[in-house]
Amino acid sequence: MAEKMENKSRKPLLEVRHLKKYFTIPRKGQLHAVDDVSFQVYPGETLGLVGESGCGKSTVGNVIMKLHKRTEGEMYLEGRDVFASDADKDAFCRKVQIIFLDPYSSLNPRKTIKDILSEPLLVQKIVKKGPELDKFLEELCETVGLSQDLLNHYPHELDGGMRQVVGIARALSLNPSFIVCDEPVSALDVSVQAKIINLLMDLQKERNLSYLFISHDLSVVRHISNRIAVMYLGQIVEMADTDMIFQNAMHPYTIALMSAVPKVSVDKKVNRIVLAGDVPSPMNPKPGCRFAPRCWMACPECSNKTPELTEMEPGHFVSCMYARESRERAKTAATVSVEKMMESQ
Amino acid sequence: MEEKLLEIKNLRVRFVTERATADALNGVNLTIRKGESLGLVGESGAGKTTTALASLKLLPRGGQMLDGEIYFKGKDVMRMSKRELLDMRGHRISMIFQNPLTSLNPVFTVGEQIGMVLRQHKGLNKKQADEEAMRLLETVGIAGYRLNDYPNQFSGGMRQRVGIAAGIACNPELLIADEPTTALDVTIQAQILELMKRLQKEYSTSLLMITHNLGIISELCEKVAVMYAGRIIEYGTVREVFSDPRHPYTRGLLGALPKLEGDRDRLTAIPGTVANAQHLPEGCRFHPRCEHCTEECKKQQPEMVQVKEEHFVECFRGGKFDG
Amino acid sequence: MERKLIFKRMVKSKFFMTGFLVAVFVVIISILSPLLANFDPTANALVDRLKSPGIAGHILGTDQLGRDIFSRLLMGSRYSLLIALVVVSLAAVIGTFLGLVSGYFGGRTDTLIMRISEIFLSIPQLILAIAIMAMLGTSVFNLVMVLVITSWTQYCKLARNNVLVQKNMDFVHASQVMGAGNMHIMLTQIFPNITTPLLITISQQFGMIIMVEASLSFLGLGIQQPTPSWGNMIADGRTYLTTAPWMVIAPGVALMITVLAFNFLGDGLRDVFDPKRT
Repeated sequence: MAEKMENKSRKPLLEVRHLKKYFTIPRKGQLHAVDDVSFQVYPGETLGLVGESGCGKSTVGNVIMKLHKRTEGEMYLEGRDVFASDADKDAFCRKVQIIFLDPYSSLNPRKTIKDILSEPLLVQKIVKKGPELDKFLEELCETVGLSQDLLNHYPHELDGGMRQVVGIARALSLNPSFIVCDEPVSALDVSVQAKIINLLMDLQKERNLSYLFISHDLSVVRHISNRIAVMYLGQIVEMADTDMIFQNAMHPYTIALMSAVPKVSVDKKVNRIVLAGDVPSPMNPKPGCRFAPRCWMACPECSNKTPELTEMEPGHFVSCMYARESRERAKTAATVSVEKMMESQ
Repeated sequence: MEEKLLEIKNLRVRFVTERATADALNGVNLTIRKGESLGLVGESGAGKTTTALASLKLLPRGGQMLDGEIYFKGKDVMRMSKRELLDMRGHRISMIFQNPLTSLNPVFTVGEQIGMVLRQHKGLNKKQADEEAMRLLETVGIAGYRLNDYPNQFSGGMRQRVGIAAGIACNPELLIADEPTTALDVTIQAQILELMKRLQKEYSTSLLMITHNLGIISELCEKVAVMYAGRIIEYGTVREVFSDPRHPYTRGLLGALPKLEGDRDRLTAIPGTVANAQHLPEGCRFHPRCEHCTEECKKQQPEMVQVKEEHFVECFRGGKFDG
Repeated sequence: MERKLIFKRMVKSKFFMTGFLVAVFVVIISILSPLLANFDPTANALVDRLKSPGIAGHILGTDQLGRDIFSRLLMGSRYSLLIALVVVSLAAVIGTFLGLVSGYFGGRTDTLIMRISEIFLSIPQLILAIAIMAMLGTSVFNLVMVLVITSWTQYCKLARNNVLVQKNMDFVHASQVMGAGNMHIMLTQIFPNITTPLLITISQQFGMIIMVEASLSFLGLGIQQPTPSWGNMIADGRTYLTTAPWMVIAPGVALMITVLAFNFLGDGLRDVFDPKRT
């Protein structure tokens, strides 16, 4: 707890304020992929960003990495405005890096591992080709536990886990302080996944790295994150410390999401809240709570009034008007019936 | 003991491609009894899907059955006539696939696709088939009037439900589900799981659930078989296997899984990488990754031993490790 | 893909091996043609006009001016292959570059380049070539220009389509986030991944260009007499088709074999590099 309190008094490493990213879809309108998202990530901390497909979690990562242009919003790295016209772009690249979901498409099939790992160093002119580069790569391989014999191999000669290690090594080569991890273990098998998670956590400890850990897998996010933000249709609906959110989830979506995950347990008593319908797309969203159409405790009011992200207890933000009563009502909420499922179509 | 529905004995399958030869299955023994739900779990390349396809005599090109016997209700599948095979597939055994986007034909309405199964196997006429298809759609939570919609008018989760409706259309004796929720979101997966639980209660269909997700097995199945490198290395009731795993691989898998409750201990990763089907190790296939490996393990293939009434493990030490 | 596997497939592919061996044979012959030709290909010898093959050392006979057809055939192959080589190289470089730029940057740049290439595509190659050659006059330089102008769109379309796939790959994003410039990404990250389809198109286009060049020369708009070219040799032979058929048959067969060889090579390469084969 002491560590967490200390965290708050420190300055955030990365701060995102009111970030919006709209995509214009011809003849259909605007897709509000990210709609007013704000958060801070402190040095040495992992913020988990969790949600289902299409909730905008990856878009947040891509906008931070400037792979997408933001529609609106601000971003500060160590207090400096990243989008300012005089911002040092190279300095940003060195401090902020990304690890991708698919270890197959993230490595150029025509390049050797050595080419792939030295590219950032050469592009940023940190070292020149020659013995200096070789020494750098040697150290890099040691850091992530990659055998140096692999340097002259091509990506297709490596398995998924090894490739992801190469992806991590590439992100680390510029010695960044912040890494966006975009579903880095989702494409991997369980036993390999554990290895990568352990590696990421060890590296964080060694180098005081900050992670934005984007994932759809609640248990992975819980394992690695200090704080968690849950996204639904482009907005953060709940954000709190990991233990707080798992013990005392308040947003009806978070509660349903947690109950939906099948658990490995011998006792088969699952009190599950099944959400009806499908995850809608954030195309031309209507005012009001975006979760209301699927919410198991929605009132007529919910589709008129837009809830704000409010601090319900210190460090616990929820955007629901009935957040205080959600846990009580969850106990009695029944599994959605077939009739309800059909209604929602 | 209930009657044996599907029995696989010493199944060995090899894939020969231009690149290499891969031994996908190396002696699989598996029995599914009537009314039983069995989870087949393992990492990618363990041979889960190959086992299912082989038992329907549907091995893809390049796959050769080297050895083994497969019996469906006591009948040798390899010796079945074409008609018997067609009757078995789709009528007695049906399959639900992983990808709901590609498992339905985009040029037919969902009603036609479900109806096709009914007309072929149950001999219903068009009108009866439509009525039955409508009833089935409603069973899986889709409004019956959507009978005449095409697959692309449905979302991924609903398509998978259509797939399930087609799967149970003929009231099969065995339903094989191959990673049916892997491509779906968690909340949609929950819908499918609840649906399957309900169907399990309503129909007395046996279930073979193929998945890499231990949680799904824990929720839906009574028995579990853990696969590694083309062999079943541990088998038993879900309760036994998950509470007291005996094989070092099963233990490793459970330890590698981040949990939703309790302490967040460091994950125990299994050392090494998944055995390569092109160059399988001698002896126990798991021995290069096993911390309890002995000389015997390197040379000889261990046999399945019974450790409890309904718990078997393929390990020389029977899962007894000191400390 | 693994080198070993590619080699294995090359040896096994009948299309590839036939095309490859014949193409290599044609190229070697044309390089060595000054040594192999036993007569001066442009020297007239009216005494020996329209000799049948085999007479007086004329392996393939002589034409209406008494020139040795075998020697003309060999020299003609040099022009045909050299022109094809220059045209394909220029068109591939220009077309691929424009395609890369078009696909990578998208937006207005893309629209502009694509509209221009569509205009070129909508006019039949041969007719456009005839029109330009008739306007600018006949010369080897003009011939090359015309052929480049009419064939760069092939490479442009190909490069663009491949870039559209490649640019959404995460390894391209990785280069972007490490601060690499667009030229660096286009040339060092994306380009190596489109070399395979490019190679296939180049070998197919090679045969195509030889064909178009022969057609233009046949019509008198390509290589000019007395310089031999397969196209103008066939044109010469037209009037003697009944009395001296070898005048048409020899260059005709040579043309057919060469074009076929390069087409086989292209098809063979496509088989060899097919990622869907297991």
